[in-house]
Amino acid sequence: MIASFFSPGTALAALLAQASPVDTVPVSTDSNDLAKQFDSILAAPAPPSQTRKTQGPAGSGLMNPDISVIFDGTAGAANRPRASSAGDDPDFTGPAARRTGGFAVQEVEVGFQSTVDPYFAANVFLTIPNLQGIEVEEAYAVTTSLPAGLQLKLGVFRSAAGRQNEQHLHMQDFSLRPLLNQAYLGADGLRSPGAQLSWLLPLPFFLRLTGEALTVTPGTSPTLGGGLRSSPTFLGNAKTFAALGEAWSLFLGATVATGHAPPAGFTEGNNLDGNGPRTLLADGDLYLKYMPPNHVMNYFALSVQSEYFWRRTATDGSNQVQTDAGFYAQIVAQLTRRWHLGARFDQLGIPASAIQPKGDRISGMVMCTPSEFSRVRLQGEREKVDSGGAIYEALLLLEFSVGAHGAHPF
Amino acid sequence: MLRTSKYFLSLLLLVPAGSVRAEPLRVVTSIETFADLARSVGGAFVKAESLARGYQDPHFVEAKPSLLIPLSRADLLVYAGLDLEIGWLPPLVQGSRNPRIQPGAKGNLDASTAIEVLDLPAGKVDRGQGDIHPRGNPHYWLPPLNALKVAKEIAARLKELDPVHGADYDTNLQKFGAQLKAKASEWSRKAAALRGLKVVPYHKSWSYVSDWLGLREIGYVEIKPGIPPDPKHLAELILRMKAESVRVLLIESFYNRGIAGQVADSAGAKLLVLPSDVGATPKIQSYLDLVDAVLDALAVAK
Repeated sequence: MIASFFSPGTALAALLAQASPVDTVPVSTDSNDLAKQFDSILAAPAPPSQTRKTQGPAGSGLMNPDISVIFDGTAGAANRPRASSAGDDPDFTGPAARRTGGFAVQEVEVGFQSTVDPYFAANVFLTIPNLQGIEVEEAYAVTTSLPAGLQLKLGVFRSAAGRQNEQHLHMQDFSLRPLLNQAYLGADGLRSPGAQLSWLLPLPFFLRLTGEALTVTPGTSPTLGGGLRSSPTFLGNAKTFAALGEAWSLFLGATVATGHAPPAGFTEGNNLDGNGPRTLLADGDLYLKYMPPNHVMNYFALSVQSEYFWRRTATDGSNQVQTDAGFYAQIVAQLTRRWHLGARFDQLGIPASAIQPKGDRISGMVMCTPSEFSRVRLQGEREKVDSGGAIYEALLLLEFSVGAHGAHPF
Repeated sequence: MLRTSKYFLSLLLLVPAGSVRAEPLRVVTSIETFADLARSVGGAFVKAESLARGYQDPHFVEAKPSLLIPLSRADLLVYAGLDLEIGWLPPLVQGSRNPRIQPGAKGNLDASTAIEVLDLPAGKVDRGQGDIHPRGNPHYWLPPLNALKVAKEIAARLKELDPVHGADYDTNLQKFGAQLKAKASEWSRKAAALRGLKVVPYHKSWSYVSDWLGLREIGYVEIKPGIPPDPKHLAELILRMKAESVRVLLIESFYNRGIAGQVADSAGAKLLVLPSDVGATPKIQSYLDLVDAVLDALAVAK
């Protein structure tokens, strides 16, 4: 491959004629002056004690929040439409037994992130999924100055229920959310107005406990949100992290949530007459990652992620207790600077219930990341979730990110 | 009544006791060089540790939750700024829940405020120019004048956080200055010998070193900062290197040497793997070691 570098196809003379673009003019190296220059730095008056300067932002960023836009556009084809979709999955709905596909703008996300004052930071993420109107994906303030390792989040936010639920679409490694997202949390995940208090324990290792009270909009979740407004959803989460040497990381989480399931047949936009059946939802999640500390040397990295959801509720009317569970497991390998490969297996209905029958999905993807700000992903799935036979789908995604978008947590 | 006055008495006794720190100040830095500078000026009153290792690319550090633990306890955070750590440090600082190190607090020190910034882009900046740092080049800590300025800034901040030991921090800074001065003639001699040396760095991260030593940067292996080269760019670069008789190609020790090595071979230049931070190799344990290592490596290449 390197042979092509040699080809003297370019005229040498033309190159030489160009002014060297990066001539650095030598300055300030009068040999024996170095000691004197040290002295003058040491002797200079100390900076005034109240300076807290940081280098100013460029251009118009002086007081504006960091603004970013993330675009996810997808072309797809399937032998028939998916049985269930997340709100930010590409919308290829159509007649049940007919081929479908085409183009979809899976999501346009606009983010505004800023420090509010010495006490709060704010994040607002507006999203337009599938060009279907503007939604507030998250809008919250988070404290920065509470004592004792406490942090309070207030507003509408993605709940700490598991791992994928907190992540926006562009943080996912696959083009579709795992099946358990819509089966257990809701098409848009569990994102509701509420309050979250989390505590980073003063221990030599990472252990964070989180408690949430949420007002889940009735009809947005199959598991929660079936309660009157006087009866919020409560959620508790624990997360711990272990660095296994310099290269391996293990991130574990557990969640328990309790609330009311919507009564059978209830749809979004209607009013509840009373609380639906009491629900208990539990989640365990695991994220195992291999990334050598000097990742840029050859860019190989590997991650395994899995979540398991379990639910106990009752079907309306019969009051018969229903228990079901599902999980997904995925593996993603970064092979080179730009190329990634991944596979995921989704399984629902083990055990199955009247609410959630058995079903599975197998996905594979290959992804190219030209830079940190764009990626192209080709994904294929086979989904078996109903009696209509297998659904085969192929998706080609282009994602780009412009503007100042805050770095993501681990 | 007696009880109340006892209370007040004990409070009075507690107040002066509280203002003398029993424990050292906990300093957390983004890179190891800053931790070494903090140890130099902090002496016994400071415990410093770095989040990144010297053999890591400081642009790309994983924001592991385990890094929150030192941050959550830190009294002072020292970082390079100019967006060097933008991909990993901000979520950690916020996630640490430590009010002492939040932006704007006394314990948050952007070390770039101590130095004169190079490579400030003129005109409109966008990512079509690669992973450009819109606030200027953040790879500034190698030249001794900059290191001393940063050390002085750290000392000033330590004095503010721990006024009781202010005089000690001043003394330590003078001691560190004396260590540098003891090296001044040796470094100046080596620098003078390198003046005018033509080099091709892999990444545009040697501007401050080139400015200090009077090196002439003829081109870069990366087509744009952070963007890997294509064959056309490399072919042109090799021609230019031959035409300009460039004999040295510089690369930080954490980068893959594959392409850079092939370019150096093709152009008849030497590939020089240079440390850019304390801890880049086990032998480089201090800032002085780092400068010596860079100057010695360049001297061999010339």
